[in-house]
Amino acid sequence: MRRAVDRLFWGFAGAATALALLAFVAIAGAILSRAWPALSWRFLTTAAADGGASGGVGWQLVGTAVLVTTALAVALPLATGLALLVEVFAGARTARLLRLGLYVGNGIPSIVFGLFALAVFSKALGWGKSWLAGGLVLGFMILPTVTVALAERMAAIPLKYREAAAGLGLGTSDIVRAVILPQSVGGLVSGAMLGLARAAGETAPILFAAAVFSGATWPAGIAESPVLALPYHIFVLAQDSLDPAATPRLWGAAAVLLALAVSVSAVALPARLAAHEEARRV
Amino acid sequence: MKFWAWVAGGLVALIGAALALLFVVDALPVFRHSGFGAYLFGSEWFYRAERFGILSMLYGTLAVAAVALAVATPVGLGTAIFLAEAPLPRRSRLLIKSVVELLAGIPSVVYGLLGVLVLREVVFRFLAPWEPLSGDTLLTAGLLLAVMTLPTFVTLADDALRGVPAVQREAGRALGFSRGEVVRRVALPQALPGLVAAGLLALGRALGETIAVFLVVGRQDNQLPSPWWSPAPLAASGQTLTSKLGGAETFLAYDDPLHWGAMSGLALVLVLLVTATTLIGGRLLVGRGGIRAARG
Amino acid sequence: MLLKRRLGLLAWLLTSSALFAASSSLRVVGSTTVNPVVVRAAEKLKAEKGLAIVVDTQGGSSGGITALADGRADVAMASRPLTDGDRTKYPKVDFRPVEIGVDALAVVVAKDVWEGGVRALSAEQLRSIYDGTFKNWQELGGPDRRIAFFNKEPGRGTWEVFVHWLYGDAKKAPHVAHLEVGSNEEARTKVASTPGGISQLSAAWADGRRVFPLAIRLPDGRQVTPTKEHLADGSYPLARPLLLITNGPPSATAKALLDYLLGPAGQELVRAAGYLGLRDGAQQAAPLPQKGTRPTRSVGALLAAPFPRPQP
Repeated sequence: MRRAVDRLFWGFAGAATALALLAFVAIAGAILSRAWPALSWRFLTTAAADGGASGGVGWQLVGTAVLVTTALAVALPLATGLALLVEVFAGARTARLLRLGLYVGNGIPSIVFGLFALAVFSKALGWGKSWLAGGLVLGFMILPTVTVALAERMAAIPLKYREAAAGLGLGTSDIVRAVILPQSVGGLVSGAMLGLARAAGETAPILFAAAVFSGATWPAGIAESPVLALPYHIFVLAQDSLDPAATPRLWGAAAVLLALAVSVSAVALPARLAAHEEARRV
Repeated sequence: MKFWAWVAGGLVALIGAALALLFVVDALPVFRHSGFGAYLFGSEWFYRAERFGILSMLYGTLAVAAVALAVATPVGLGTAIFLAEAPLPRRSRLLIKSVVELLAGIPSVVYGLLGVLVLREVVFRFLAPWEPLSGDTLLTAGLLLAVMTLPTFVTLADDALRGVPAVQREAGRALGFSRGEVVRRVALPQALPGLVAAGLLALGRALGETIAVFLVVGRQDNQLPSPWWSPAPLAASGQTLTSKLGGAETFLAYDDPLHWGAMSGLALVLVLLVTATTLIGGRLLVGRGGIRAARG
Repeated sequence: MLLKRRLGLLAWLLTSSALFAASSSLRVVGSTTVNPVVVRAAEKLKAEKGLAIVVDTQGGSSGGITALADGRADVAMASRPLTDGDRTKYPKVDFRPVEIGVDALAVVVAKDVWEGGVRALSAEQLRSIYDGTFKNWQELGGPDRRIAFFNKEPGRGTWEVFVHWLYGDAKKAPHVAHLEVGSNEEARTKVASTPGGISQLSAAWADGRRVFPLAIRLPDGRQVTPTKEHLADGSYPLARPLLLITNGPPSATAKALLDYLLGPAGQELVRAAGYLGLRDGAQQAAPLPQKGTRPTRSVGALLAAPFPRPQP
């Protein structure tokens, strides 16, 4: 009887796992199989034409690159400062408060950031649709992710390094510069990768205040300078398909975005997995 | 160095406060017009008639999240148990974990596209005996969300299970429990707070997802169950807080303070809901020093 | 001191950023019905003349007009006429509509409804469907099926024209919450795949294979189908102009776009999208093409009498 229950139990666990793995395989397979006809190097480098029915996603990739670069430029310095605050400079209570704040910030729905961009940058500052508005809110959005990855890495630096540095007479700021920052670069990189994957794939933050569907290339200036973006391109075509002939290209765009997000996440994988594995193996 | 760290902290705190304040201030017109209670519990949203009641959207949001959790929790728990407790070689464990993590990296618009072009048909055919209007239903959105929140739940549940000290497991084995019984009688009960937290954080994610839900939920206003316990609306189209925000009305409301106030109110309620779930879940985790859950 | 100056610079940068060299792209926003034509025209103009034209469809026709009034767009695309409501809402805006074509708004049904015998509906019947009085096709002489009405999203020109024709004013439309569809493609797909389906759709999308366009039964008993002939001679009531609207006289780039669309290449794009070009009205009425004449009755009449007049 106990054996039977046990078998059932492990059967259930195994089946659940198989289902989870199957989900990924099915999703990737569904997209790639439908996207295959449209994928090519030219697809990545030509502009969209006929409203997405022909051509490629070249300018969409450029736009996404602009947005992501801006987001990282915003998030990385701020994340470093925040992580140092949480792990080094702030007292215990402030640190706990900050951690909670990071949790909350990480959970804020992306559409809220989109609305924030619309209200503040588009309306109040009068920028209209602007790549900078998109980049800024994307940066805020990924800030918790990057900060946490960095902070964890900092926390993992063996205490003896910091103690040794202190023993040599270094002040806190020097310890940060000489020991903590160099040792936690890995965390910054993995955090940046995770943030990049998220920023590249999000539609909601750029929906209102940064992206347009067609016509934009390189942004010129700040106000009234929208960009094209891969996720927004897919979003519009998914509802407003201008042409059923656009479908393979639509899948192609999705495949490109998927490949981008997955490969960047994959780069960050080893660090993420390692951190999880180390944890709590009590 | 210290100075810049505090500047960064101050700046971020300021922006966070600005975000919260912005929605509160912008939403004031609609609260003055309709009253807070009528806004929250009004069952009709007709913006042309200036009637703003978000109850049906609250229902939609919660219904979709409920479906998502109902599907994701068993599957996620099973996967987490398998990962944490089954005697797997290290390589296999890492491989499975990697795939789950990659699942988390898939952008929501890609899920949305799959929902539009694949899942919608499947659900439509499945619901055929009940003659649905289309495959865009609360159920469809919930199923899509289930796959999206699965990785979050698996990762956190796995962490929670592995956080149970090996000593306790060994004690269980010493008492004659089988591997499976050790999990059921020792590890799971001990990991319960962490598991609940995992569920809450996954819930938070489900509440806030916009794009995928927008594409498959049907966007039909004022859908409420009657009688209130009826599951019928699940097989019909609905509207969630996020799908309303992501739609055309946000642009239509741009220069109308009342309409814009109604939309900001939606964002405010959404933020409050998500923050509440995240805080409760976070407290259960942060208490254990587990900041890693915030990785998302 | 240095910090203060840096902060001051930042503040100045942000607040005056609106004055920064804004991109000189022409911003075109609005209707998804007009969009296919304008997007292709913009692509051609970019290739031939290097003009930068940015096109987007957020908010539909009404969204485009709002954006134009706010200054967020330079040109609005609309698939409905401008109303007094628009002018009263934005008194400071100098609306300059330019018509580039005409489209018929068809009421389409799914295959089972069509084959079940429903081929024409009157305005009265459509009102009853819209406000939910009729719930089954049997009440209209069709098969025993529930009526699955897919309503167009708010802001869509299609919806506005439909409701205006039925009720005389968008504000007078009863407040009903039907399942909403956004684009023409979405509407067509949903109607085609739902037994008992019915929706408003641009006639160019009613292919007669997946969805079937109904005739409109006029008060005098005639049944008018949404064909190009009936559109051209003005007998089909649900016709709507495809407009590009500027605030004041169009800028150089806007003028280039308008000229292109009014010219032969642009009109070819209009026709290719399934709509009626400007000259087609004249061609249908007078078989011998007359060079240089503007189309007479139908199209001109459309601009004069803004909305299809509400039917009793």
